[in-house]
Amino acid sequence: MASFDLVEPRSLEEAIGLLDPEDPAVRPVGGGTALMLMMKAQIYKPQRLVCLRRLGGRLSGIAWDAAGSRFRIGALTTFAALEHSPEIAAHLPVVPRTMTTLANVRVRNVATVGGNIAHADPHLDLPPVWLSLGARVLVIGPAGERTLDVADVFAGYYETTLANDELIVALDVPVRPGWRSTYVKVTTRAQHDWPALGIALSAAVSGRVVTDLRLVLSAALDKPTRLVAAEAVLRGAEIDDAVLRRAGDAAVAETEIVTDSRGSADYKQHLLRVHLGRTVRSLMESGT
Amino acid sequence: MSVRALSGRVGDSVPRVESREKVTGTVEYIHHLELPRMLHGVIFRSAVPHGRIRRIDVAAAAAVPGVHRVVTIDDIRSVIPNPYYGPAFHDQPILADGKVRFAGEPVAVVLAADRHVAAEAAALITAEYDELPAVLDEVEAMTSDVMVHDELKPAVTFPDLKHLKGRRGTNVALDYRLRHGDPETAFATADHVFEHTFRTQQTMHTPMEPFVTVADVANGRATLHTASQGPSFVRIEIARLLGWPENRVRVRVPYLGGGFGGKLYIKLEALVTALSLLVGRPVKVALTMEEQFYMVTRHPCTFTIRSGVNADGRIVARTCKVVWNGGAYADIGPRVTQKAGFTSAGPYDIDHVAIDSCAVYTNRPPAGAFRGFGAPQTAWAYECHMDMIAAAMGLDPVAFRRKNLLRDGRPQASGTPTDDAALDIVLDDIERRMNWAAPFDRGSGRIRRGRGIAIGFKGITAPTTSVAIVNLYADGSCGLYISTVDMGQGSDTIMAQIAAEELDMDASLIRVVHPDTDVTPYDMGTLGSRSTFHMGNAVRRAAQDARSKIAALADELGLPPGSNLPLPEMLKKKYGMQAGNIIGTGSYIPDYEKPDTQTGRTRMGTPFWGVGGTGAEVEVDTETGELTITRLISVVDVGTAINPKLVQAQVSGAVIMQLGATTLEDMIYRDGHLTNGSLADYKIPTLLDIPRDFVNVHVDTEQRTGPFGAKGAGEISTIALSAAIGNALADAIGVHVLDLPLTPEKIFYALQAAGGRTVTGA
Ligand SMILES: Cc1cc2nc3c(=O)[nH]c(=O)nc-3n(C[C@H](O)[C@H](O)[C@H](O)COP(=O)(O)OP(=O)(O)OC[C@H]3O[C@@H](n4cnc5c(N)ncnc54)[C@H](O)[C@@H]3O)c2cc1C
Repeated sequence: MASFDLVEPRSLEEAIGLLDPEDPAVRPVGGGTALMLMMKAQIYKPQRLVCLRRLGGRLSGIAWDAAGSRFRIGALTTFAALEHSPEIAAHLPVVPRTMTTLANVRVRNVATVGGNIAHADPHLDLPPVWLSLGARVLVIGPAGERTLDVADVFAGYYETTLANDELIVALDVPVRPGWRSTYVKVTTRAQHDWPALGIALSAAVSGRVVTDLRLVLSAALDKPTRLVAAEAVLRGAEIDDAVLRRAGDAAVAETEIVTDSRGSADYKQHLLRVHLGRTVRSLMESGT
Repeated sequence: MSVRALSGRVGDSVPRVESREKVTGTVEYIHHLELPRMLHGVIFRSAVPHGRIRRIDVAAAAAVPGVHRVVTIDDIRSVIPNPYYGPAFHDQPILADGKVRFAGEPVAVVLAADRHVAAEAAALITAEYDELPAVLDEVEAMTSDVMVHDELKPAVTFPDLKHLKGRRGTNVALDYRLRHGDPETAFATADHVFEHTFRTQQTMHTPMEPFVTVADVANGRATLHTASQGPSFVRIEIARLLGWPENRVRVRVPYLGGGFGGKLYIKLEALVTALSLLVGRPVKVALTMEEQFYMVTRHPCTFTIRSGVNADGRIVARTCKVVWNGGAYADIGPRVTQKAGFTSAGPYDIDHVAIDSCAVYTNRPPAGAFRGFGAPQTAWAYECHMDMIAAAMGLDPVAFRRKNLLRDGRPQASGTPTDDAALDIVLDDIERRMNWAAPFDRGSGRIRRGRGIAIGFKGITAPTTSVAIVNLYADGSCGLYISTVDMGQGSDTIMAQIAAEELDMDASLIRVVHPDTDVTPYDMGTLGSRSTFHMGNAVRRAAQDARSKIAALADELGLPPGSNLPLPEMLKKKYGMQAGNIIGTGSYIPDYEKPDTQTGRTRMGTPFWGVGGTGAEVEVDTETGELTITRLISVVDVGTAINPKLVQAQVSGAVIMQLGATTLEDMIYRDGHLTNGSLADYKIPTLLDIPRDFVNVHVDTEQRTGPFGAKGAGEISTIALSAAIGNALADAIGVHVLDLPLTPEKIFYALQAAGGRTVTGA
């Protein structure tokens, strides 16, 4: 590791000014948990790291918006803060539940919501959850602010649509009364592992019918992806084995799952069919 | 240093003497060692699995500011003319020499005062190769045209390798045979003959402390500070390479952060010594976790086993064809091949046995000693084979084993009696703890349940020597000088307990002096479950020697017989002040008879037998192949436990390790390249993978030749574990998976191949 500059700007404007639209060797740092590993492996060699930790303000905190229909979560919010927030637990219980199998206490104490999204590793557990909840991201750059769906941040394997001098400021997560959400991390090697597939499901349920839903697959693809064809099969349908089988077939047909060290494409397609059905059933039975 | 709360005698579960220092982070590890003027070496590795080196371009690396020097084999040769090392074969070059034999082999080293500078520069080195076809599979390597080595170069220290010297046109680095009776004739008359082929995969030791060595060669002396399990061997091999007498080489080992067989013999030490010699400064090479995958691994193994069985369930004949994938350099592989070959017919009383066990070279990272020394690979085959036979013949797997088990000291296939091998006791204990006679609910829906048992044994590397010195100081306290390495197994504690028992003193008054070949005497190595037995016997003898010297001193001082004047008083009487020492020495080498080179027969092939059995209960999700081990019972025979708590820790530690090899770990290659060489992709068990019902026990027995009845414990519970789980899996799903590891995907496809239906097993 060659030497590099570490700067700690005090304002958002200063931070953006320190970033460089052209130079990939200049990057912001949130918790640093992902970046440091890449530096250690010499995959990433920085010239300048712009540490965001002194920014505070809009980048920190968890708050209800004025209308009380969504949470605004600052980009510097740590996983631990999310995990232990009573508000989040009450309204988005899927988030703290996801934390129980996410990394470890030390990582959760420093990893940030913004860094997690910007990292764009398709195996991460939270992005599919944000997608299934319909979260939006507030981004700021030299040209000003913009908001976009979380899904639109991801361009591919470890790739985002963010410019080099853009920063994630916050995440807006809607709370949909009556909807239930779940995330299933399917590991095929050790219990604690990167998922072979992640399935996030948020749905409105009435009796045995799924009236509306957002279904997301991660880890087995190069970015977390909504399974729109499978959603279409399930939306408005009374759930039984035949419907779940058709949804599974649709999910397999609409995705291009590839072989990796967590399983062959065939096997992971099979797992997708099985776990999609199980996920829907468990959500129907869960009540939250 | 404060007085430790250790009063333990033999049989006491005293806490490990170093616990406090370890948990407070004050214990010495080589990774922390910094010497004045020290340089760091970072290795540049081969990007091809097999090829002739056309050119190595180090110019860009050498030009990086802060780089002291870039070293290739040509530089090494200027200080060590014949730069080849290894315990069995002198086949491994200190850096690649004209040819690379596996992807990841060290080709060059960058030296710099700052490790980060060296790493940066190493990334700038390039090499061009004329690529050669590579052979990775052990069975293919037996007959392949691809030759990993042009000529075999056995070390002189292994008489059984002598006939291989100079052999060309082969990848076979050892061909062990054992012949007992006439299996072919017996097969012809047996009621049934069964044959199956099993495979195990390549795995890595994964010590949390990666390999690290600091060498300081100056003034005609070489001092090595190294994380090694075998300081005495390192000294001998470094002295040989340098052409120096042993007394000019000093090897020091503090604590190890795990070894598991990986840190045996000679690893980084040859390279780091050469580097220090070359630049005249201390040099440190500390591998990363990822680099460990290219140092040493566990042998993959293909084992075809054939048994003739009579209708009454007696096994009358067995042949074993075992091929071990040794990787590019032999390391201690030939010994693994021989030692594990020796017991590959299993702990059964069989009149006609033939064993052929071959080590082959391939273009993979080398394989060497690994907790169990090959026994877990062979037991995977012979114990799954036992269940497959039992199922086919409609026999109860426990009863079938019991009928054939070696008992009452009956000689094993080699002719060595199975004295003090508690095979029957261990089998009975597992059967009882598994409640085997009770009905077992295998389930009928998506989740199927199964249970299985397995039992295995191993011989111990022989003959090997341990030497100990007991030094009683003038105040009556005691130093114990041994070269046994405490790598987490607790040998310091055990050895202090043995000495305390013999000296009739409080163990807290005994300080174990860590291996330093200038100070501590010879030991073959901390390996193969041998230390408690061999070093324990040597320590006991050293303590006895000290006692007889104290008695002689009493005589000399004219003390009345039976006088119990404390030693400090006696020394004061003799020297007129607090002065002097009593030094007791002891050494131990077991009785041994070299196996006949043609038949492998010997009446004393092992100093003792390690015996381990496992019982497992599993659940299988037949929709996904997911395997959950719900219950795991390991029972070992360790003779008399010197420290029952430490025995239990060894048993459970070995079980967890073997659990990884059974269900998770596998070094996977594509085009000769390792694809999962990091802990993100090569998963070892965590606490979450440990079965809820997890029992680790030892049976109460006595090893009559051991110190206070004890024998080794470190590896024993690895032996039968995989097969017990494999058998439980087969019991649940009706088919045997023959290759490790037992991944959900493999299980799922085995179920599919069996027709997608689940059949209840035996
Ligand atoms: C031991 C370990 C175990 C783990 N296990 C899991 C697991 O089980 N499940 C899981 O999902 N994840 C796991 N992770 C990954 C972890 O979730 C990520 O490392 C973490 O979320 C990254 O957040 P960070 O704040 O540390 O990002 P950083 O490392 O600071 O940054 C990551 C990337 O985001 C950029 N960035 C940071 N902040 C911003 C911002 N505000 N705007 C724009 N770009 C930004 C950086 O430049 C960098 O490219 C694990 C990590 C470790 C180290």
